[in-house]
Amino acid sequence: MGAPLNYQDMLAALERYWAGYGCAIMQPYHTEVGAGTFNPATFLRCLGPKPWKAAYVEPSIRPSDGRYGENPYRFQQFWQYQVVLKPAPDDVLDVYLRSLEALGIELARHDVRLVEDDWEGPTLGAWGLGWEVWIDGLEVTQFTYFQQLGGLDVDLVTAEITYGTERLAMYLQGKRNAFELEWAPGVTWGDVFRENERQFSAYDFDKADVGLLTRRFEEHERECGRLLEAALPLPAYDDVLKCSHAFNLLDARGAISVTERAAYIARVRNLARRVALAYLEQQAPGADAGSEHMAA
Amino acid sequence: MSNLLFEIGCEELPASACREAQEQLSELLRGAIGGDAAIRVFVGPRRLAALVEGLPERTADEWVKGPPEHLRERAAASFAARHGVSVDSLEVRDGFLGVVVPGARLADVLPERLAEVVDRLAFSKTMRWNGGTLRFSRPVRWLCAKLDAATVEVPLEGVPSGGTSQGHRFVAGEVEIAAAIEYLDALRSAQVEPDQDARRAAIVRGLDAAGEWRDPSGVLEEVIHLVEWPVVLTGSYDERFLELPAVVIETVMQSHQRYFPLGAGAFAFVANGGDPETVVAGNEAVLAGRLDDASFSYVRDVEKGIETMAEELTSITFHARAGTFADKAERLAALCEDLGGGEASRAAARLAKADQASTMVHELPELEGVMGGVYARLAGVPEAVAAAIEEQYLPDSAGGRLPESPAGRVLAAAEKVDNLTVAFALGERPTGSRDPYGLRRAAIGLCRLAVEAGLEIELGRLVEHGRRLLLDQGAEVTDDPADVRDFVLERLEGILEVPVECVRAARAGAVRDLGGIAALAETLAAERESESFARAYAAFDRAARLAGRSGEAAEAFDPKLTTDEAEIALAETLTAAGPRIQAALDGRDFDAALAAAGELGPPVDRFFDEVLVMAEDGAVRANRLRLLLDVRDAVGALGDLGRIPR
Repeated sequence: MGAPLNYQDMLAALERYWAGYGCAIMQPYHTEVGAGTFNPATFLRCLGPKPWKAAYVEPSIRPSDGRYGENPYRFQQFWQYQVVLKPAPDDVLDVYLRSLEALGIELARHDVRLVEDDWEGPTLGAWGLGWEVWIDGLEVTQFTYFQQLGGLDVDLVTAEITYGTERLAMYLQGKRNAFELEWAPGVTWGDVFRENERQFSAYDFDKADVGLLTRRFEEHERECGRLLEAALPLPAYDDVLKCSHAFNLLDARGAISVTERAAYIARVRNLARRVALAYLEQQAPGADAGSEHMAA
Repeated sequence: MSNLLFEIGCEELPASACREAQEQLSELLRGAIGGDAAIRVFVGPRRLAALVEGLPERTADEWVKGPPEHLRERAAASFAARHGVSVDSLEVRDGFLGVVVPGARLADVLPERLAEVVDRLAFSKTMRWNGGTLRFSRPVRWLCAKLDAATVEVPLEGVPSGGTSQGHRFVAGEVEIAAAIEYLDALRSAQVEPDQDARRAAIVRGLDAAGEWRDPSGVLEEVIHLVEWPVVLTGSYDERFLELPAVVIETVMQSHQRYFPLGAGAFAFVANGGDPETVVAGNEAVLAGRLDDASFSYVRDVEKGIETMAEELTSITFHARAGTFADKAERLAALCEDLGGGEASRAAARLAKADQASTMVHELPELEGVMGGVYARLAGVPEAVAAAIEEQYLPDSAGGRLPESPAGRVLAAAEKVDNLTVAFALGERPTGSRDPYGLRRAAIGLCRLAVEAGLEIELGRLVEHGRRLLLDQGAEVTDDPADVRDFVLERLEGILEVPVECVRAARAGAVRDLGGIAALAETLAAERESESFARAYAAFDRAARLAGRSGEAAEAFDPKLTTDEAEIALAETLTAAGPRIQAALDGRDFDAALAAAGELGPPVDRFFDEVLVMAEDGAVRANRLRLLLDVRDAVGALGDLGRIPR
């Protein structure tokens, strides 16, 4: 391997690779999500019979994973690189493995392993089978063949490839601490985000207003239902995301008991399922609204 | 004679799928080709294969049995027509008409039959990809089939078939298989060892050479199916991590990374290739990161201390409708006392769930209990208490080890009784394959604690106690959990090496505790050919048959209503033997109990020979029926002997 790529060059290399493969390069979604799967470019686009190839960086917000910037491996916000190939081509694993070569990793020199990992996203009613991809013992990617989304069997099986960019960068740069990663020349990951981690951890664990968040959850849940009645599944889906984030914050804040937890998850899943059904209905041949609504 | 190779090329299969396929492949192939040729099965992450040596050129002729010969006139014509032969050509074997369907050329039938083999392989978890209707553990990407040097094209929708296999994913490409018999050599020269036993042997050899390796969580069987070309390498980690409890280091190594602990500061692992120096450095960095993370959790927990954790349990839910872990601890303490546990078990119950509030258990749930023990010792809790906390979840598998400390055994039993009672009382009994709380395992654990560790466990009383505790705590009890007893006793049938009927018989007797029922079942099984048993059985069986269904029996036996000598003799024997049966049962001397019950055999026989039970005088009749019922019940304290086949 030559000089290691810094963080932004690594992301740029992934963008180039997947653009070259024919993916639409999307941008991060504007609403907080726990993973790139929640971005409508994955959750909604992977429903229905239309082929779709996309790749994008997704800031993933998981309030309960924050550690006030004190733990070098745990953050309440990290960055996934998300690729979806629908339908999954027969050579999808080779295509993925070549992306690692594009980052300068000589596969034959390393111990690259696909280790069973079945994925489930309970708030989205989604699951699939696949692997963790290990390089020399380090998990750098989750690879999943979607089987259900929104509780519905998928029409075409999507391959979802999710790179953990911090891990991958730590591997490429030989760093043991994510805050020491070189983001750009002269700028570390810690320069950009350590204070962010401290403040958001304080918000997530100590300061978030439980009453406000509880109301917000309920309001977005109602709004989602109202928009579904108005046949507007796309804005309704944003309400699903907002409910999900409010739930994650309440959970981190310790404001949800185990009983309530299962009930909250079921409420979000129910919304996700209704949105999925409404979206599919509009995608069906002969429906008025089509995918042009997604293009914005 | 011919040789056949069939290889199903897959994307990386889980180890469990490899094992599932290994169990089925040989039988499925036998069904496809018939005969008795030797079949060798090879399974691994990227391929499921079988090599069949010594196949005949044709499949065997098959005898198809038709109607019986005496129905020739009525049925022969249609049978013959169905098989496309004339009535004259039907043969007779063993009194039946039939037809010999000649075998086919193997090469002609193989393509379809091999495709069926793929289709019939069943896995506990399957997926679709985009290859049509086939479901499989992971996508099937190629098929390679050779009958000697000839390639067999296997028609499977969306999957290419030919005479080519694939070598090691990263260092070799396609591999031509020139002839079936050359399969193993061809793949080995492409850095793939298809034979799981050869991989296992190579890994064990490498680990032995690496040093004193250990595998406490049993990852070896998975690792065998994680690599196609195993290379055992060793690495080390920084001494500062030795401050962590050894069990934490080992769990991090095994559960996350599938490493094998060597002595302090070192580990071995199995790679699938790569440059050793690069691969070792990478793995060392990963382990250091994981241990750093574990240290972060451990330091936080130690600062907090087990007493503070125990206080936090009031805000951690154990079960939505059965309260917090603090409530659970309270129930465990009461059940420990009921189980005859001493001070140590009750103190352990109070702290048993404290580690649920620790960061470490949040990160590594498999260390629950173990971390509680560690934190208890750090807080200076007496060793008997700390050991009990550590052992509360044992046995954690059907054959797993039992708690060794007396308090640990009591706490482990209380833990299982409570889990069973909660689930049954809240309407969450296990159904079919659904057993999310591991209640079958808990039931087996209880049986073993009783049978092997000698703990006295009287389920009926304990479960009722558990139910009342739940009600006192305000839990939303919806069901009567009394059937926990049956649920556990059904498991007892599985773990005792006696006929199930003996266990079922013993369950119906007067012995109430689990270990007693087990020992009684064993006595019944061992003695069921003996004279005592025959006599006791006869007494029980004859008395029960005649009097059991009659509703006429008197409330109580009245000696003044006896008239015949045989009747008086039976009553006297019962008066003498009855209390001795009971006393022997109380003393767990089941042989003596059986002997005493056997004494009733001859007088019962005589009674039936000489006395007319259904006397015309109603009071006499009712009294005789009562006497027989008393005999049945006295012997029946040993169990429902009628269930035991003789």
